[in-house]
Formats: sequence, C-alpha cells, structure tokens
Amino acid sequence: MLDIRSLSKKFGAGNSAFHALKSIDITIEEGEFFTLLGPSGCGKTTLLRMIAGFEQPSGGQLVLDGKDIAMIPPNNRPVNTVFQSYALFPHMTVAQNVAFGLEARGATPSEVAGRVDEMLEIVQMSHLRDRKSSQMSGGQQQRVALARALAPRPRILLLDEPLSALDLKLRKQMQVELKRLQREMGLTFIFVTHDQDEALTMSDRIAVMEGGTLQQVSDPRALYDHPANRFVAEFIGDANFLAGVIADAKLGMAGQPPVPLPRNEAANGPVTVMIRPEQVVVGPLAKDAITLNGRIETLVFSGNDTQASVRLQNGETLRLRAQNNLHAETTLTEGQRLQVSLPLDALRLLPQEAADAA
Amino acid sequence: MPRSAIASERAVIRAETRRRWSLALPALTVITLCSILPLVVMVGYSFMEKGQYGNVEWGFSLEGWRAVILEKDFFDDSYIPATAHLTILGRSVALALLTTALTFVFGIPTAWFIATRSPSTRAFWMFLITVPFWTNLLVRTIAIQEVIRADGTLNRLLLATGIIDEPLQMMFTNGAVLVGMTYVYLPLMVLPVYAAIEKFDFRLAEAAYDLHASRFYCLRKVVLPLMWPGIAAGSILVFIPALGAYVTPRLMGGGRAMMWGNLIDLQFGQGRNWPLGAALSIALTLVVLGAMVWYIRRVAKGGESIG
Ligand SMILES: Nc1ncnc2c1ncn2[C@@H]1O[C@H](COP(=O)(O)OP(=O)(O)OP(=O)(O)O)[C@@H](O)[C@H]1O
Ligand SMILES: [Mg+2]
Repeated sequence: MLDIRSLSKKFGAGNSAFHALKSIDITIEEGEFFTLLGPSGCGKTTLLRMIAGFEQPSGGQLVLDGKDIAMIPPNNRPVNTVFQSYALFPHMTVAQNVAFGLEARGATPSEVAGRVDEMLEIVQMSHLRDRKSSQMSGGQQQRVALARALAPRPRILLLDEPLSALDLKLRKQMQVELKRLQREMGLTFIFVTHDQDEALTMSDRIAVMEGGTLQQVSDPRALYDHPANRFVAEFIGDANFLAGVIADAKLGMAGQPPVPLPRNEAANGPVTVMIRPEQVVVGPLAKDAITLNGRIETLVFSGNDTQASVRLQNGETLRLRAQNNLHAETTLTEGQRLQVSLPLDALRLLPQEAADAA
Repeated sequence: MPRSAIASERAVIRAETRRRWSLALPALTVITLCSILPLVVMVGYSFMEKGQYGNVEWGFSLEGWRAVILEKDFFDDSYIPATAHLTILGRSVALALLTTALTFVFGIPTAWFIATRSPSTRAFWMFLITVPFWTNLLVRTIAIQEVIRADGTLNRLLLATGIIDEPLQMMFTNGAVLVGMTYVYLPLMVLPVYAAIEKFDFRLAEAAYDLHASRFYCLRKVVLPLMWPGIAAGSILVFIPALGAYVTPRLMGGGRAMMWGNLIDLQFGQGRNWPLGAALSIALTLVVLGAMVWYIRRVAKGGESIG
C-alpha cells in the first residue's frame, strides 16, 4: 500500500548538512501494524513527518496506492497523525476536536455528528464529549487524540510515541486497546516507539532503525530469533556475544575442538556467535551442542528465574537464565564450577563488525 | 469545644484578617489616592455651581449635567438638545474605532513578525517597538508633523523623485490625525498581541494542517481564537486612551475638528465652566465603561462560540 523507496532526508546544506535518513526502503501492507523502533535520534519522527507531509524528502519516493505523494501538502494526504503531545485544541470541547478534521474537509453537519458519535463511542469518551480538552487526564486526552485522527478515515494512521506520556499501568492498558482497535477496524498503523517491549507485543512487523539507516525489517518473532546484526540483537532482548571461527563448515569457539554446523551459513573466518541467555542449558547435552566449563561469578534472583553470569575458561563471560523450577535437577550457587551447553540450533552467527574485532 | 479554645481560634482568625489587610494596604492606598479620589472629586465638581473665573463654588447644581445634554437656544432662551456634543462624541468614538482598527491592521503583522524571529533578535525588535515610549508624546507628534507637513520629508522625497509636481497638503486633515493616532498607539496593540503569538503552540497549527485544514481555515479556527485574549487586550488598551485623546488630534488636525478631549480641555480653560468639564469627563468615563462591559461580554461569549 505504502512504498517507501530509497527515501533520504538531509537537514541543512553543504558541509553542515545532517543526514537524518539514508536511503530507506520499506513496503507497508494494508491493515498492518507497522512499528518504527530505534534509539533516540535515529530518525523515526523524521520518517513519520515525511509520510505526514511536514518534511520534504531530499531524495527517493513515497508511493501511496500507486501514486507518488511526496509533493502533496499534509492537509490533502489521506493520512492523519496522533501526536506525542496530543496537540488537542485547548479552546474546543472533546466533540469539537473530533469533528475538526471532518469539518475542515467540508462534511455536512449530519455526517459530522454521526461520525463524531461513532468515534467517541469507540474510544469510550461519549460521556465527556462537552468537556474542554484542557481539562482531562493524559489517558483521556490520548483517547480524544486517537478519535480525532481516526474520524476522517485516514488510509494510514501515524502514531508518534503516543503512549510515552502515560504511566506504566495505563500504558499497558492502552497498548491492548490500541491493538484491538487496529485489528477490529482493519486499520493500517505506522507506530513509532523506542520501547522494545511495546514494539514486540503490538506489532505485525517492526523496522529497527539506527543512525538514519534501516537495520532489519521483520515480524517480532523473527526479529528476536534471527537478528540480522549485533545492533538488533542487543537492542531487542538480551544477548551473549562470543568470539568464534568458521573453518570448513565447522565452528570453533572458546578453545573447544570445532564442531560441524547443521547448516553451513557463514563463510570461513572469524564470526560473532550470539545466544540468548534463556537458551543456555546448565549441564552437558548429549548431542548437537557445545559444552563449556566455567564458574558462576554472580547470581541474581528475580522471581520466576535466576540470572547467572558465568566466567568461561577462556575468560569470556556468558549470561544465562535458569527457570526457578522446584523440580530442577541442579541448584546454582555463587562460585560454583559447572558445565554449560550451547545448543547448536540456538546459536546465531553474526557478521563480525569493526567494533567486535577490537 | 471549650470556650477558651473557641476564643483563641477567633483571635487567630482576627490576626490573620488583620495581616491580610495590612498586606493589601499599599495597593489600596495607591488606588484610593490615584484613582478613586480624583474620580470622587470630579463627580463632586460636576454637581456644583460654576465659579466666575473658573473653579467651582459650593452649592448643589445640576447645571453642569444639564449643559452636557441641553443647550440654551440663542434666541429665545429655551432649552434644545446639545447636538454639537453628540457630534463631537460621535467624532471621538469614530476616531478611536478607526485608530483601533488601523493599529490592529498594522499591529498584527508586526507582532507576528517579531514573535517568529529567533529569540535573540526578538529582544532587539521589542526594544525598537518600545523606544517611542521613552519620548514625550508632544515630541513624537511633532516628529510626525515634520514628516508630513508641506515642506516636510515626505513631500520633499516625492517632489525629488518626480512622483508629484507640487507638495501634497497632508497636515491638518483627518488623514493626518489618523496617521498620528496610529503611530502613537501602535505599541499598545503590538505588545499584548505579541505576547499572545509568542505563547501560541505552533504544534496546534501543525495538527490542524494534518487534519485537512487549509491555511485560512487553520487561521480562523485555531490561531485567531487562541489569540483572541491578546487582541482584546490590545484593542482595549488602544481604544480607551484614543477616545480621550486631545494632544494628537489638536496638533495633527490643527484644532479644526474638535474631539471630546478638546471639549473637556476647553471647559477647564477658556470656557471656565468646571462643572460642565467635570460632567463631560464623567460622561466619557461612563461611555468607556459601557463599551468595555459590552466588549468583554462579547469576547467572553465569542471565545466560546468560536471554539
Ligand atoms: N529540523 C531539523 N533540523 C536539523 N536536524 C534535525 C531536524 N529535525 C530532526 N533533526 C535531527 O535528525 C535526527 C533524527 O531526529 P528524529 O526526531 O527523527 O529522531 P527520533 O528517532 O524521533 O528520536 P526520539 O526517539 O528522540 O524522538 C536527530 O539527530 C535530530 O537532531
Ligand atoms: Mg521522535
């Protein structure tokens, strides 16, 4: 539906120009909950503002339903935005705020009234319809902002960190509601956040950005299980990185004899081996695993699991998470010597980056 | 509660009340001395008899107020409505309204321009706007005369560039009065409007634009309503002194068209009719008060219905 083709954005000109976005390519499908995820300053807002029309691309195309929309001003684009600051009109009531987008387009009064009622119903704000928008809690303003942006029936709804001003409990609740609304109404959302949990729980697909470039676009599961590089692996979830060497389809690491890999994914040479802490197994495994010796340095109990930091024989550190199961065979204690196993199918071979070599 | 407790509690309340009053005392003194007392004196004078050589004489009289509304017919000493006063009042109101309108037309873009500069240059522009305040009103008015009189700067410029063949007569016209008034009162419009624009959250304009509003629609539905308090304050600040203005109309208009302010001036001076002068002043105050009440009600209502 929306094709973002080698889109780039430069702020300023000449030597002082700042490349906020570098050749971004994304295709967003109809009815999709698409999330832009990345650390502060990576260009999420800039990309969203370009889709809304507030920033002009420096290069590339924005194609919506087969039409290049780059030159269309924001008020004529079939997209609406839920702003992080909500930006509700303080001199208007809740109902007047929701009606704004419809009236601005010249809808008839009966059309406006019907749609406003419907939208207020959906966000459960009908009882506050005559309240001034400045006299409401953050969560209520959030709902009004959502209703206001949805009222003109946008092809795509853009949401720039809409939940970041809410406290944790309300935030979780709104996450669920927002997701339900999007699914039930079959809407297309482009959602910006820098909260990975929020992204993982809500999205159909996630684009991870860093420094104005796209790192990976996948569904949450694949993003977690098969990160494309070290940045993605670290940004989403917890990860161990160990040094390894590939030679003739065999992986050698931590001073152990090389073991053959089930699939030969990588070329010969040094690699970074990634494994999630919860995939590390305490004790030896019969086959298809690399078993290493080490000593527990620290233990952190956190209710349902225990996190251990294990110093391996070659000096590398490995973090693991063990479920706190009453019937577990071994209990962990600090200073304990133990064997840990890395199942081969849980290992991810990442391209070695300049930073890793150091 | 035991009686002593009630008594002590009362004492605390009394002390608290005393403390509040003593805090308000300086303000109350100033208001009484500078605002209420003169007003009382003027109201009192308006109901006294006029003295032979100005001033007032003790004794109650409605003569002053009578003269505001009715005048003696020249021939048969009967009373007829003082239509001249009505004309003058009409002229003053018209001038004040026009001045307000013109300062509005020039003030809004000026305020917008300043408010949208970078914060550091804003201070400089605000400084320029307030410079005239440091100068005496007479000096400012005469400076404007210098620009537009027959052999003034403007005429010489136009003659030199060949746009006109002979000097334009601009002094002592209604236009000249308006130019002078607009020049003098412009800062009073710019300052509150500037404050309103500076406070305006431009993300709201962006939100309106995102919600399919054209620029004009956004201006009408979002920008103007939120600046309304500033515009109202500016209009009041200009309208009220403009209504009583007499220095500028006299100097720029050559005293040909009398304003209400000149009329009052006349009674305390050559006319030697202090009760009439006092009654005219109070009458103007009442007109202003009426206009204010009407305007504020309208603005209060307007703000809601516009929203
Ligand atoms: N108008 C502008 N002029 C110059 N640089 C800008 C402008 N807008 C954004 N930038 C820069 O572009 C980069 C990306 O900004 P952007 O607001 O898109 O980040 P973001 O990913 O939304 O971050 P956050 O999570 O903090 O909101 C930042 O380094 C920012 O300083
Ligand atoms: Mg942002």
